[in-house]
Amino acid sequence: MSRVSVHNAAMRVLLALLPWLILVVTLGVTWFTWEHERENSQKALRAQFDFALRETVSRVEQRVVGYTQMLRGVQSLFATTSLKNRTAMRDYVEALQLDANFSGVQSIGVEEWVPAQHQPAPLGGSDIWSDPVRREAAQRARDSGMVAISGKVQLKANSDPHAPPGFIMYLPIYTQGQAHDSVVQRRAQLVGWVYAAVQMNDFMASLYGIQMPGLTLAIHDGTDNTEASLLYHSSGGAMGDPSRQAAVSANEYMVVEGRSWTLSLSTQAAFEARYGRGIATMTAVIGLVLSLLLALLAWLMVNGRERALRLAAGMTEELRHVAQRDPLTGLPNRALFRDRLNQELARAKRQNGRFAMVFIDLDHFKPINDNFGHDVGDQVLRQVARQLHGSVRAADTVGRIGGDEFVVLLAELGDSEPVLVLAEKLHQAVKHPFVVAGHEMSISCCVGVAVYPQDGADADALTKGADNAMYRAKEAGRDCVRLCNSPNSPERSALEISPEEVV
Amino acid sequence: MSGRILFALWVVLSQLSLASTAQADTVDCSRTYTLALHEHGLLYSADTDTGIDKDVADELIRRSGCKVTVSLMQRARIWQLIESGALDFSLSGITNPERDKFASFAWYFSNKYYLLVRNDSGVGNLSGFEQNDALKLGVIRSFRYSESANRLVDTLQNSNRVSQAGGLAPLYQTLINGRIHGMIIEPFDLSALEEKKIRAMTTIIEFNDSAVPHGLIMSKKALTVTQLEQWRAIVNGMRADGTMLRIFEKYFKPELAAALVNF
Repeated sequence: MSRVSVHNAAMRVLLALLPWLILVVTLGVTWFTWEHERENSQKALRAQFDFALRETVSRVEQRVVGYTQMLRGVQSLFATTSLKNRTAMRDYVEALQLDANFSGVQSIGVEEWVPAQHQPAPLGGSDIWSDPVRREAAQRARDSGMVAISGKVQLKANSDPHAPPGFIMYLPIYTQGQAHDSVVQRRAQLVGWVYAAVQMNDFMASLYGIQMPGLTLAIHDGTDNTEASLLYHSSGGAMGDPSRQAAVSANEYMVVEGRSWTLSLSTQAAFEARYGRGIATMTAVIGLVLSLLLALLAWLMVNGRERALRLAAGMTEELRHVAQRDPLTGLPNRALFRDRLNQELARAKRQNGRFAMVFIDLDHFKPINDNFGHDVGDQVLRQVARQLHGSVRAADTVGRIGGDEFVVLLAELGDSEPVLVLAEKLHQAVKHPFVVAGHEMSISCCVGVAVYPQDGADADALTKGADNAMYRAKEAGRDCVRLCNSPNSPERSALEISPEEVV
Repeated sequence: MSGRILFALWVVLSQLSLASTAQADTVDCSRTYTLALHEHGLLYSADTDTGIDKDVADELIRRSGCKVTVSLMQRARIWQLIESGALDFSLSGITNPERDKFASFAWYFSNKYYLLVRNDSGVGNLSGFEQNDALKLGVIRSFRYSESANRLVDTLQNSNRVSQAGGLAPLYQTLINGRIHGMIIEPFDLSALEEKKIRAMTTIIEFNDSAVPHGLIMSKKALTVTQLEQWRAIVNGMRADGTMLRIFEKYFKPELAAALVNF
C-alpha cells in the first residue's frame, strides 16, 4: 500500500473518530469544570458553615456572660447587706428591670447555707441539696468562687410537666471581710448562693444577632447527644428529618461556666442551595448539553464531507464510463480501445510478444435499420456485442468504433497460435443466430486481421492493416476473413446470409 | 591623667547601667492591669482555683506591686481581647507570625506536643491517623501547636475531620465516648491521664518537632515598649532565681519540671 493511501486511510479513521474524540474531550472538560466548581462550592459552603458555627457559639457565650454579670450584681448586693434581708433582695431585683434581654430568667433567688446542718436553709422553697444536679453545681460554685451552671433541670416555675427544660446558675456568697482564696477557706466562709433559674428556649430567644437561615441548631447538656440531654432544638424539640443527610454538620463542645454543652449545627436544603451546589449542577448540565451538541455538529460535518466525496467519486466514475464506453453496447469506445491497444503494444514490444487486431464490419446492416427501425437495429448491435464478448478471453478487448463496426484486440498470443482460426471464431460468433423482437435473425460480417509485429510496428500501421484487410474481405464478396499480408487468403466463408434472406 | 579619665568614664557607665536595671525592675503601676486565666489541665482549674498559671500570676502581681484584675475566660476570647488591647496579660501562650503582630512574649517554659489516640483506632503513628478518614481529631478552638501538629490539624480541618471544643474537659469526655479518636496534648494535660479509664484506652504518639516555648502573653496595643520590658524583666527574674522552677516542681516531678523550665 502506498504512503498516500496509508495517509488517506488514517485520515478516514481519524475523521470517523473525530466526533467521539470531541465528545470525550468536551465531557472531560465538563467533568473537570464541574469537579472544580463542586469543590469550590463545598469550600464556600464549609466556610459559611464554619462562620455560622463560630458565630452561634460566640452568641451563646456572650449571652451567658450577660446573665453572669446580672447575677454578679445580685451577689454584690449581699456585700452590703445580710442574706436575710429579703426586702433588699426584692427591691434590687425590681430595680434591675429585667427586660426582654433577660427573658430566659424564670426566677432569681438566694439560698442560705446553714453550717450546723451541712445543708442550705431554703428561703424560696428550693430543693438545691436534694437534687444531685443542682447540688453538684452549687458545690462547684462554692469551691471555685465563680458562677457554676447546673445540668439540665425541669424548672418548677413551669406548671406543665413537659415544659421546655432549663438550667440554674449559682454564684456563692462568702462571709464579708474574710479571705476565701483557697477551697478550704471558701468552704469555711460560705454563707449561701444567689441563683438564677433560666429557661433554655427563652434564653436562646434572647441571643444577640441573627441566626443564619437554613440551619438546624441543637444544644445538649454534656457530650452525649441523647433525647434526655437535649436542652434546645431550633425546630422546637423535634430532632428533624432523620432520613435527610445534611451536607455539612458539626458538633462544638462548649464549656459554659464549667459545664460542657454540645452545640450541634447542621445544614438544611435552603442553606445548601444558597451557598452550595447550584453553580456546579448548572455547569454539569450546560457542559453536558454543549458536549453533545458539539459532537453532533462534528458528526454532521464529517459525514457531510464523506457523503459529498462518495457522490463526487460516483459521478467521476460515471463520467469516465460515459467517456470510455459505447452507450449502446457498453463496449469500450474508440478512445478506450486505443488506450488498450497502446498498452498491449507496449507490453508486446517489451516482451517480444505477439497480438492481433481484428476489424469486423457487419454485412448489410443498414437495411435492418431501414426495414425494422432503429430500435431493432440497436438490439441487433447489442446482441452482436454480447456474442463477440462471449467468444473472447478475459484478456482480449472487444470495442465498437462506429455504427456497425466492431474491433477486437486479441492480446498476448503465443507464437504458434493460429490467428486465422481465432478470427474465424469471431466471424462465426457474429453469425450465430439470435432472436430480436420475435424474429430469428443471423447476420454475416467482414473480418480483417493485422498481427503485430509482422503487419505493423505501431497502432496506426496495425489499424490501417486491419482496415485494409477488412475492405478486402468486402471486395471478396463479404462474409469472410482476410489477413493483412495475405491478399487472397483465406477462403470465403461458406455461409453468407443476408438480412433479406433471414426475413 | 588618662587613668583618671578612664575611671570617671567607668563610673558614669556603671551608673547608667544600674539606672537601666532599676528601670526594668520597677514596674509602671500607674493603672490597674488585667490578666486572664483559662482552664486547661494543670495550668488552671477553676474547680480548685489552683494551677501553674495561677501561681505564676500571683508571683508576677506580687513582684510588680501593681493592682491586677484576674479573670477566667475562654482561650479564644483571651486572644481576641489581647489583640484588641482590652486585655493586658495572659499566661502560657505560644506564638506564631500572626500573634507576633499584636502580642509580645516573655518565655518561661518549653514543651513538646503529643497526639493522644484511642487504642481501638488502630493507629501507631501520625501518618496512620492522618490517612484514616474515619478518625476525627478534637481540638480546642483557637489553640495552635508545634509545626507538624498544626499541619495535621489544618489538613484534617479541610477534610471536615476536626471537632472544636471550648476546653479540655469535653475533649476527654468525647474521646472516652468515641466521638473523637484523638486529641493533641501537652505535659500539663497529662494529669487527666492519671484517670484509669483514659490511660487504659489510649496511646501517646510524639510529634517530631522541637519543644515550643510558652510564656507570658502581653498585648502590644495595651502596653508600651517600656512596660513590656519591665514585665519581661520580672519573668526573667523569676526564672533566674529559681522561683519558676519551684512553681513547676509543685505540679511535676523534679526532672520533668527542670526539663520544662530549662530550655
